[in-house]
Amino acid sequence: MSSGYKSWVLLTGFILFYITYLMLGALVFSTIERPVEDMLKTDIKALKEEFLNQSCVNATSLDTFLKRVLEANTYGISVLPNSSARSSWDLASSLFFANTLVTTVGYGHTTPLSDSGKAFSICYALVGVPFTMLVLTACVQRLMHLVTYGPISACRRRLGLDPRTATAMHFAVLLLLVVIGFFVVPAVVFSQIEDSWTFLDAFYFCFISLCTIGLGDFVPGEQPGQQYRAIYKISVMVYLFLGLMMMYLVLRAFHRMADLHGLTALFQLPHCDEDSDDREPIVKAGPEDQNENDLVASAKPLGPASKSSYNTIQR
Amino acid sequence: MRCPTLLALLAGVMLYLVMGALIFQTMEGPEERKAYGNLLNVTQIFLQSHDCVNTQNLSNLIKRVAEAVETGLDVKSNSTNFTSRWDLASGFFFCGTIITTIGFGNLSPKTGLGRLFCVCYALVGIPMFGFLLAGVGDHMGTMLRKAVGNMETLFLKRQVSPTYVRVMSAVLSILIGCLIFLAVPTLVFCKLEEWSLLEALYFVVITLTTVGFGDFVPGANGKNGDLFKPLVWFWIVFGLAYFASILTMIGNWLRVLSKKTRAEMEELRAHATDWTQNIQNMSKDFQIPNPLDLNDPFLLQRRRWKRSVRRRVRRGALGHRDRLGPIGQNGHLPNRWLAHTCSMTRLEVRPLDRGEGLGPGLRLLADLHQRSEGRSLGRTVARSLSMPAAKSAMELDYDSDPLRMTSERSGSGSVYEYGSLSESPDSDSRSVVSCYDSNASGVCQPGLERPLARFDPGGSLCTEQEERQGGSMQVFLGIDSRFPVDLQQLPKPIPMFPLPLPMPATVQPPSSSSSPPSPDCKMLDFFGENLAFIDESSDTLSERNQPVEGDVPASHKPSGRSARRQAPPRSPVRERRTDNDMQPPSNPPTPPPI
Repeated sequence: MSSGYKSWVLLTGFILFYITYLMLGALVFSTIERPVEDMLKTDIKALKEEFLNQSCVNATSLDTFLKRVLEANTYGISVLPNSSARSSWDLASSLFFANTLVTTVGYGHTTPLSDSGKAFSICYALVGVPFTMLVLTACVQRLMHLVTYGPISACRRRLGLDPRTATAMHFAVLLLLVVIGFFVVPAVVFSQIEDSWTFLDAFYFCFISLCTIGLGDFVPGEQPGQQYRAIYKISVMVYLFLGLMMMYLVLRAFHRMADLHGLTALFQLPHCDEDSDDREPIVKAGPEDQNENDLVASAKPLGPASKSSYNTIQR
Repeated sequence: MRCPTLLALLAGVMLYLVMGALIFQTMEGPEERKAYGNLLNVTQIFLQSHDCVNTQNLSNLIKRVAEAVETGLDVKSNSTNFTSRWDLASGFFFCGTIITTIGFGNLSPKTGLGRLFCVCYALVGIPMFGFLLAGVGDHMGTMLRKAVGNMETLFLKRQVSPTYVRVMSAVLSILIGCLIFLAVPTLVFCKLEEWSLLEALYFVVITLTTVGFGDFVPGANGKNGDLFKPLVWFWIVFGLAYFASILTMIGNWLRVLSKKTRAEMEELRAHATDWTQNIQNMSKDFQIPNPLDLNDPFLLQRRRWKRSVRRRVRRGALGHRDRLGPIGQNGHLPNRWLAHTCSMTRLEVRPLDRGEGLGPGLRLLADLHQRSEGRSLGRTVARSLSMPAAKSAMELDYDSDPLRMTSERSGSGSVYEYGSLSESPDSDSRSVVSCYDSNASGVCQPGLERPLARFDPGGSLCTEQEERQGGSMQVFLGIDSRFPVDLQQLPKPIPMFPLPLPMPATVQPPSSSSSPPSPDCKMLDFFGENLAFIDESSDTLSERNQPVEGDVPASHKPSGRSARRQAPPRSPVRERRTDNDMQPPSNPPTPPPI
């Protein structure tokens, strides 16, 4: 029973560490953001007073007015002159919204207003999220052969490295490629297309989107006067999907590497179950599993599912 | 996954997205239009009632205020004292949403430094949360499985079909989870946040799927106290873990249902075999009647087969069963023996007829030559050891090994002692073996004078056996005094040592200083062979009282590669004698060579 006891201890340790991490983050954010918030608040106050001073509006009616406007604004409706033309629920935007819902990014720049919209969102999400995860995992499974197992075995054959070194090397290269291809390059592109985004803003947006956090403070294609909005939004959708796949791929490669290096056993986590999974996935596996046999021998014994985050179903 | 299936799935997702987009547009478009109309009205009324405000000024104001609100500022309150939205509880909640990838967005960093820190924070925090979720999900999954198992047993008692039971238990567990993690929080939020039921449910679903729009955020009105947000966060963690474990469980079921059942059956059978084996070991050690004695011919057959397997393991044929005694436990020994067996079978020795008065060394060689691969040398060693003792003409019933070439009879007194030595888990066959370490020149000479005390290793051949010498050896002679031991006979093999055998050194001795590797290993192997021989004799001893099943000619012993579930249950019977009286083994061990 000692291993069960140990795993409970580990879990408690993890939880405590996690809480500490959160507190630390809260402290840092607080320290960084508070002064800026202070300043902004003072600015707005000044603006309001200036407006009130130079006009005949009294404070209460302005406040009521602002309240209405801001409520509408949170739903994406603006009364500013140059944004009156477009709707946020045309086909492209609705598609974009459905995509953010289903990939769990969830920007929140447009949210369903009506009750029926909310109810439908619930059902749509409950079905669509597992479905999307299934598709993503299936694609990643397939990609793993191409991107991970193939190169690793080729590496081992040609250079004669042991599995651990080969996996670590391959992971490093993969990580570098993904960062450059899916973070840096799109950030440059976004910072060019969007006027008010700097490179850092665009990079921040790429990161927040690809981790499916989706804060929503930056959303591409929301600028007024955006040309080719429909195509732009759809291409952003495709980028999000591909980027998510690459993130899962990197995660899987990392998990495999951690498995080989004994980290998952160290933390008593479920092992990488991919070897049996990849050969007996939801649908039949192909003949290309032969090239991973050399990796299989060095893999740890299989256990229950690996990182059981919500976004992983098949693991 | 096959390509067409994957493409079909992709197409399915695309279709799903398009369908969702159409439906959302249909539902939300009119609503949006209405809201827009309302807002325009309000703006117009305001502008009309306040003449001094022109549209431009108003637009500017609205723009600035909207930007401020987007940063998270709460402009609705009129209070002059500043309450930051970045207090500790909100910061904790924000970090929680970042790490769980929900990302509400009602609060987000506005400074460049804050955003950069957010990126780094998420890079570390998301995998960490993944680990946490895995751990929590693991435990919850175990609890879930136990509950499901209990439910299943309940259902199975009522003779319901297993598939149906499985489905039912899955549905039940999902329902329980939904109740705990969906329904109750919905009611709580509805009450505390003054949302409608639909809005609360919408919030719960959007949060637990980690979509996290942010249009509804708990604790926004700030009147529920500081503990509310951390409590919400805990709910999020457990809810996420629960649903992750549900999904994983279902996925596992769907995918590996039959495979797991098959594997479990194999495991079960393996455990049963292990257990019966242990029982037999125990019964042998303590000379108790085999508790599994059922007079069932099949079971008897099986037992005999297992015994032979065990014997083979001791001799190193099957190197993997490490619970069968010190020889097997030490992974080196069997392998060495195995390797040495291979080497020795390559020797060219002329075949000897039975009963020839040759030196035991040659006899040994002939023996080995005839032996198949996998038959360890332990037997040879055992024979060599007890050969001198055989001269004292003990009456033991040794099993006939048709493969043995020699037909000398050897006493089994000492042999038996060795046997019990090797059988008891504490006994140290290693220490016994170690007596033959080191130099070929009479290494056992000192040891054999006082057979117990002097069995120390010389220049150690196999260092791993140097533990537990001496002490356990004291038990040696006292185990069973039924058979007189004539250990004075033991030194006799030594003069016969000088038999140069061109054995290739296949095993590397760890630190053998004075002697070449191969003779030491040879000696080791020979000794082991003796021990195995002892095993057999002791086995036949205890099998005296078993009903005879007939002598099955022991054929080619299966090699060590095949696992315990080898086919032939017939082979154990070969140890049996057709006659009931005990006879000395027909093929006593020969002394170890130099």
